[in-house]
Amino acid sequence: MSEPCPRTSYADNAWQGTCRVEENVRVARDTYRLRLACPEIAQRILPGQFLMLRLTAGNDPLLGRPLALYDVYSHCDSSPDAVQVVYLVVGKMTTLLAEIKPGATIDAWGPLGNGFEARPTEHLVMVAGGIGQTPFPAVARECLGLHCYGEPRRQVPRAKKVTLCYGVRSSEYLAGVDDFERLGVEVHVSTDDGSAGHHGLVTDVARSVIERSDAACRMVCCGPEPMLAATAELARELNVPCEVSLERAMACGIGACFSCVAKVRDPSGNWTYRRTCIEGPVFDAAGVEF
Amino acid sequence: MGPAAPKLTPRRSDGYTVVEFIVPRQPPAFLVVTLPPVCRDNTNSANVQLDVQLGRLRLRNPIAVASGTFGYAREMAGLVDLARLGAILPKTITRDPRPGNPPPRSVETTGGMLNSIGLNNDGLDEFIQRKMPYLADLGTAIIVSIAGRTREDFVDLATRLDGVPGIAALELNVSCPNVSGGVDFGTNPDACRQVVAGVRQACSLPVLAKLTPNVTDVALIARAAEEGGADAISLINTCLGMAVDWRRRRAILGNVLGGLSGPAIKPIALRAVYQVARAVEVPVMGIGGIATIDDVMEFLVAGATAVQIGTANFYNPTASMQILDALPTALAELGARSVADVVGTMTERK
Repeated sequence: MSEPCPRTSYADNAWQGTCRVEENVRVARDTYRLRLACPEIAQRILPGQFLMLRLTAGNDPLLGRPLALYDVYSHCDSSPDAVQVVYLVVGKMTTLLAEIKPGATIDAWGPLGNGFEARPTEHLVMVAGGIGQTPFPAVARECLGLHCYGEPRRQVPRAKKVTLCYGVRSSEYLAGVDDFERLGVEVHVSTDDGSAGHHGLVTDVARSVIERSDAACRMVCCGPEPMLAATAELARELNVPCEVSLERAMACGIGACFSCVAKVRDPSGNWTYRRTCIEGPVFDAAGVEF
Repeated sequence: MGPAAPKLTPRRSDGYTVVEFIVPRQPPAFLVVTLPPVCRDNTNSANVQLDVQLGRLRLRNPIAVASGTFGYAREMAGLVDLARLGAILPKTITRDPRPGNPPPRSVETTGGMLNSIGLNNDGLDEFIQRKMPYLADLGTAIIVSIAGRTREDFVDLATRLDGVPGIAALELNVSCPNVSGGVDFGTNPDACRQVVAGVRQACSLPVLAKLTPNVTDVALIARAAEEGGADAISLINTCLGMAVDWRRRRAILGNVLGGLSGPAIKPIALRAVYQVARAVEVPVMGIGGIATIDDVMEFLVAGATAVQIGTANFYNPTASMQILDALPTALAELGARSVADVVGTMTERK
């Protein structure tokens, strides 16, 4: 059968169903980590992919919400059987999500999107702003050779070093720094108010990390749009490959609605609207028109 | 002594199940229990005829997926058994590629969503070369949704699509609220009649006219489409709406106005289907907030011969499959032997 749009990450591997909430704990100000019993998604999902979550009952909120994989979880030593996401309470859905108790159910479909590419990397520099750290525990774990994701299990050449540059408004929003340090990730924090780490921009931290690194660096980045744009500019200036994970309002997460488009340039420099859900959310930073 | 052993006797001709309880060591006693219709099993529902006729277009069942809510079908293949659907309506195509409107393109509202995608599509040539071969192989009726700014645009598209293999029918999107130009065909009866007639003349495919609810009298437009030669009327497209961020004093959508869809508009859609079904002879395809089997049955009873699932595909990608699973039983519950048996069967309220 002919493929109507090659290079697109269709939801061919996706599962849809109702999952039991195993854990929903506060990890920082307005920030929660949710764990769902869902072996179907846990075994298939790749770092940088996402799932859609929707409250099981009712039509308000109506649409699902896209949430990046934080990491998969295994109850024993066997293959993963749960997925974790971390979310910031910002609106109607996340406010209700924060009230969900373990044992309740939630609807989910995924894995969705392309995820980060499995590329040989010497020094991976992850740049996160705000709640943009959420895709990176899985990225780091894979890059450090601590877990193989996907079905079949994806093999990624092991990186020598993984660094997280993590910028937040204020120290009370720092979520999951322990999780990264436990994996062996070097964490550099920056805050807007100087309450922790570097007082200033996360891109300043990323610049100094890369400039001081004696290995070939590659950047991955997730966070608010201005910070993504600044990181893309930094990558261009330092001539470092950089991928960005874009966040867009999505209605379906599977490419049906054409809501979540972003301006992406082709090699000849012309931009077109691309669907963030199935042609992203991860794009080469050099191609994104911010 | 064990409990009474129920013994099922053959099904009665009226479909009710007779259950005899034979109680041991008791004077022979027979309990004839007549189960209410809701308790009947699927044996009868298996015999319900699901195929429907929309003018010259025959569908294997009345459950279609609405244009603009299902991509070009390939997107949904991982979660939906596409071959089970009554029909697939790919996203509307225009003659030339259109980038669509600036984001944000959709926003959730209470019980619904506003969108202003703006007919983002790669144009007719790309559709024929890249999308249609895939769609033609699915074994499902493909109803191609087309839009244009002028009558000539529609006629040109219809002419070009006429010979393309795998197309079951055309749906004329004369009702998209998110593009300037072309909307006239859905709001002006004469323009509507002429565009349908032009397409009918230009191609041999069955033609559906998809109407907007954003008019004073939708039945008037429907009659014009019928006069123009439409095989069926599909309605409703989205209701023109708006969302405002008062703190920033600006519209939330990039295009300011958008089309409201989802459960919030179901009553408007039911009303429009009811009014149009009584005003025209041709069949009606109901669209608007359909998400469950109950919604489908409401539309059929109100006068729709078939339905299109729209926004529900976004928030429950397998909604169409769940509805198809439940349809035979729901039809049997009304004692129907076919879909046609329930279409437009609302009783008058005294």
